[in-house]
Amino acid sequence: MIAVVLKLIVHRLLAAVPILLVVSALLFCVLRLLPVDPAAMSLPPNATIVEIEAKRRDMGLDRPLPQQYLIWLRGALHGDFGRSIALRREAGSLVAATLPATIQLAVAAMVIAAALGVGGGLLLFHLRDTLFETIADLTSIALLSIPEFLWGLILLFVFGVVLDLLPFTGAVAPGLPQPQITGFLLLDSLLAGRFDVFVSACRHLILPAAALGLAFSPAIMRVLRSSLFDVYHEDYIAQARLRGLSESRILLRHALKNAALPTLTLAGVQFGILFSGTLLVEVIYSYPGMGNLMVDAVRNVDLPLIQAIGLTYCVVVLLINTAVDSLYVVLNPKLRVQ
Amino acid sequence: MMATLSRALRSPRLIIALGMVFCIAFCAIFAGWIAPHDPGEQNLLSILTPPAWADGGDPNFPLGTDSLGRCVLSRLIYGARTAMLVALFASLGAMIIGTILAHISGYFGGAVDWVIGRLVDVWMSFPPVILSLILMVGLGVGLDRVILAIVLVDWTRFCRVLRSEVLIVRRHDYVAAARLLGFTHWQTITREVLPATLPLLITLVSLEMAIAVVVEAILSFVGLGVGADQPAWGQMIADARQYVYQSPSNLLLPIFAIFLTVTAFNLLGDGLRRTLDVRLAVTGR
Repeated sequence: MIAVVLKLIVHRLLAAVPILLVVSALLFCVLRLLPVDPAAMSLPPNATIVEIEAKRRDMGLDRPLPQQYLIWLRGALHGDFGRSIALRREAGSLVAATLPATIQLAVAAMVIAAALGVGGGLLLFHLRDTLFETIADLTSIALLSIPEFLWGLILLFVFGVVLDLLPFTGAVAPGLPQPQITGFLLLDSLLAGRFDVFVSACRHLILPAAALGLAFSPAIMRVLRSSLFDVYHEDYIAQARLRGLSESRILLRHALKNAALPTLTLAGVQFGILFSGTLLVEVIYSYPGMGNLMVDAVRNVDLPLIQAIGLTYCVVVLLINTAVDSLYVVLNPKLRVQ
Repeated sequence: MMATLSRALRSPRLIIALGMVFCIAFCAIFAGWIAPHDPGEQNLLSILTPPAWADGGDPNFPLGTDSLGRCVLSRLIYGARTAMLVALFASLGAMIIGTILAHISGYFGGAVDWVIGRLVDVWMSFPPVILSLILMVGLGVGLDRVILAIVLVDWTRFCRVLRSEVLIVRRHDYVAAARLLGFTHWQTITREVLPATLPLLITLVSLEMAIAVVVEAILSFVGLGVGADQPAWGQMIADARQYVYQSPSNLLLPIFAIFLTVTAFNLLGDGLRRTLDVRLAVTGR
């Protein structure tokens, strides 16, 4: 089985290479069509035209577009994504510094989404054929209508402003040190033995993660409910009932296991989308992740940085999808046949 | 057709959804008559006033004013116009591109199908938020640019879903019969295949409208949306976020407006799916 999964992973990663090449080329072209001059932008405003021309040659901007792309690609393959024009630092190191915070947020959000999704799905199914069914059904559609962007603002308002329970700016309380070991603040604070930093970071993580989790749980809820409906038509459910098993045992031991597969597929797809959803939540909560960096880069028309971050988002989403596919093969015996 | 119509009229959620969409569309179309003020008119003497019923409220501004003393109610109403324009044109644009490519891809199959399929793959490997932000950098701000960006991002949703529907429809005998009768490919697609995919298409459009409203709000919130001179709910939220302690209602009202609009379109999509899909209409689930 391991061989099959490994083969699948390698196959998927190879298939991702051409996609990434095209994506990076597209990204490069879209951004080069802009009426801005990166050379002029990276020099002080009093630079002379001669200086700007020299800089243009230096940056390779006087060459044809495909050649420029190849130069950039060669750099990118060596981990060199160029320098951020506005922040005057390596774009690659800026991304590396903010990526862990974003991953941390996405994982926390996914845990919340899965917990709420499974719990809610079971509840929705439990309420079938009762008076509450329509109400619960309509509520889940209404919840589905609230994107992470609105959840972020609503939670900020309710728990941050009105109830004043949780902080809603930054990743940790101002004044506290942020130990840098692995880049993941929660882990680093524990490794450094700073429990106060850990608690503060957790409290700062709750609202953004909950906002994302709440936005993605209704989809999981509804798929779980409808796959439970499908599973309940199967003979083995009737058979389990004839054996005299309790309804809750049938639901949790027999039906849930079989309904889990389509739910997991959706959850995997959702995780990819959720990862890019961190962008807005980060902006709303001023959370120092890649999303905030991206929005700043976009506002400053900081081309090298936009390219580096855009590509990073694509790579991470592709990796997540590959991982989910492999997990799917591990869990579904039918797919293991070669 | 009549059966579908009578089924639609008996579905309460479809009626409610249509009612909500109608109300919002009414605000959008007649904004000039309903709104008490010009949405851009600044009254610097009365900034951040609370709604009229609260302490210190001004009956001149029923829902209060924002940080520049602009009437919140008027901005909400004109914001509905922006949202509805984007929802309508962006979803139609995405529908047209997506539907055409989906029908070509599913009907002809082979190399064409492969090329379009890979194009969709590449497009979808960009997370939508990231792609729309990058496009807005390239396109610049403005209502038409927002619409264009959403069309360029979201045509893939239509293309992917409709293609598999076309694949199913194409195998039906009546499609083969049409070809045998001497229909050209174009005639077969427009007269036989398209009508069969229409129910799914209509549902997708109404769901896409909900997505477009959110994307427009997001882009305006980040400051890359319709431009500063045009009132938009996302902008109102970004502005109110800074003054959330002084004037909480300014934050809540546009959030509520977006929620209402998105719910209306989602409910409409769900109701349409149930009434138009014969299989679902029978079981009711």
